[in-house]
Amino acid sequence: MLKTLFPTLGRVRFTVQILMLFLTVYGGALLGSYTVDRISQALPALSCAYDKTTGDHCILIVNQHLLHHRVGEALVNAQNFTLKVFIPVVMSVGIFFMFFFFLNKMFCGWVCPLGTVQELLYRIGRRLGRPLNRFNPKNVGRVRPVKWLMLLVLVLALPVMAGMGVVSNELGDPFCQVCPSRIATTLLTADSEQIAVRTSTTVNFALGALGNAMFGFIIIAALAARQPFCRICPLLSWNALFQKLSPMRLVKKDAHEKCEKCGVCEKACPMDIHEIGTQFGKKAFHEDCTLCGRCAEYCPDDDVIQIKFFGIRLFGSSREYYKKRVKLETPEGTQKKRVISIHPGKPKTENE
Amino acid sequence: MKNNGILIVLVLLAVSTAQAAETATRPSATMGEPGHDHAAMMRKAKTSWTLYPTLKVRMSGDSRATQVITLAPQNIVADVIEDYSNDLNDEKAHSKLPVGMGGAKFDRSAKGGFHMLAAREENGANVRVASTVYYNGERGAKNPTAMFMQQKHELEIIPQPQPREHSRYRANEDWKFMVRLNGKPLSGQKVYLETSNGSMSEFVSDAQGMFVMHVPDDFKAEEEGGQASAHNHGRRGADLVLATEYVEQGKSYLTALNSNYGPDAFDQRNLAKGAGFVLLGMLGAVPLLRKRKTEQKGEESDNA
Repeated sequence: MLKTLFPTLGRVRFTVQILMLFLTVYGGALLGSYTVDRISQALPALSCAYDKTTGDHCILIVNQHLLHHRVGEALVNAQNFTLKVFIPVVMSVGIFFMFFFFLNKMFCGWVCPLGTVQELLYRIGRRLGRPLNRFNPKNVGRVRPVKWLMLLVLVLALPVMAGMGVVSNELGDPFCQVCPSRIATTLLTADSEQIAVRTSTTVNFALGALGNAMFGFIIIAALAARQPFCRICPLLSWNALFQKLSPMRLVKKDAHEKCEKCGVCEKACPMDIHEIGTQFGKKAFHEDCTLCGRCAEYCPDDDVIQIKFFGIRLFGSSREYYKKRVKLETPEGTQKKRVISIHPGKPKTENE
Repeated sequence: MKNNGILIVLVLLAVSTAQAAETATRPSATMGEPGHDHAAMMRKAKTSWTLYPTLKVRMSGDSRATQVITLAPQNIVADVIEDYSNDLNDEKAHSKLPVGMGGAKFDRSAKGGFHMLAAREENGANVRVASTVYYNGERGAKNPTAMFMQQKHELEIIPQPQPREHSRYRANEDWKFMVRLNGKPLSGQKVYLETSNGSMSEFVSDAQGMFVMHVPDDFKAEEEGGQASAHNHGRRGADLVLATEYVEQGKSYLTALNSNYGPDAFDQRNLAKGAGFVLLGMLGAVPLLRKRKTEQKGEESDNA
């Protein structure tokens, strides 16, 4: 029964993603308005606080508010550091880490509502026959530092500076003002407020214009590129800071001679992490990895790539699984077209 | 047979309904005039925009570190303000804050989350209650539903639900409340709304004691924003109060619940410009959708 419903890891992940999309976008409406306070306000995924029906809040808005209202102000009043700053910040990061400890960067690949929306758009792009734009090993390095820049400038530096009074208060939560998840998740609740740019000040207007343009770019780009925003998301870099501390890991064999000529896992990776094919051991678990598990699904050799929790194998590559998987979907994510049979019996694919 | 492509429709919804504010017969907000206690007179600061009893939450100080929160009873005489915290298991879940000359001091480091605050005045056969909800973001909140539903006074107005953190009442929004008498829903009860911007309207509770408050859109276009600070982000705001009165066995109960509200969600926002920038971004991504020659031959490119 379970094998029929969930024949692949990809199907399991997609089901989880859809469930989490409903929880993170509509959870408050389904489970009660105060769910957001009961679960947490430190989710390691882009669950937007501007969404009035969300069931949880993203860690980034908490970070920005703490830096803005606590750290910045307390640096000016240093004597209050322990009570007013240290404890609240440790509490916030601690709750975040309680979540993160168990799932590591699966929050990006399995939970984040914006990640799910981008994947859905990419699937539509495949159906519409749009091309696949990828970063190759030579140019992928150009985009990777952007996520660190986003974290340092928009999530950390500007909120602290706003709290210290160095920059205006409008820069207290600058990442939220440009975050495409804010617009995407509120639109999903039929709320058009966040798409309307704020016109009260030049800074507000500029941030709004930038955020809206980026949202527009991403929803079109996602039709022809995989996870375009994830690559520059500050949560990817924020989660990367804690990546090595979680027992949930992507594990690759220390050496495997076939990898040099294969490269299917690289094609399957939605984040264009070429290191998964070329590196071994700990180095293969890259900072951009979202633990989606596609590399393990599309590795054609037994147990070369595995997802482990406290050293226990949760999923591992296998030749048999690979054969079944590629019949349903290419490593690049193009679904094999299904033939809907008018005769009773098992549905077949065109390739069969 | 080929599958058709999947369509996703994002629905943009903008609902605004206009409701004329009605002037109706009001409960006697000034009843139960206090005696000649001078200290009491000092504690009964009068607020000009309404005669109903209210509890004003005042914040002073430039920063969070120096911020002092004062609860000021207005149009009511009370020696203490009762503070009900959303953490019912806490030994301090219910405390009494003494009212001094400037009001009662709220210790924000003591308890986090939602607080139902109430001032009560009993004068012969008249019982008057001013109440408000304050969200203390200092610590994490627990689900306040049980605290709200706990009976505190004979006649009560209970938010269903209260706006949570990052949210507040805003013009043109509809919010539900329950009216209760002795812990039981009160049907057909009139509830009056007044705002510091001058609006007045009236609601009637249904069989379950529920009524829907439509927040009036009564901010003037030329009104300037408040003083921008780290706390209020320079947001405009005004005060509202809901009040209801019930007479039972010769005893009169008047209960009011006051809060702050803001302008319409689209105030100082521009939807057309916002949509324009989204379209601009979309246009910027259009080149990614074009197939290159190699891809037209059925190959998927590895180059960005």
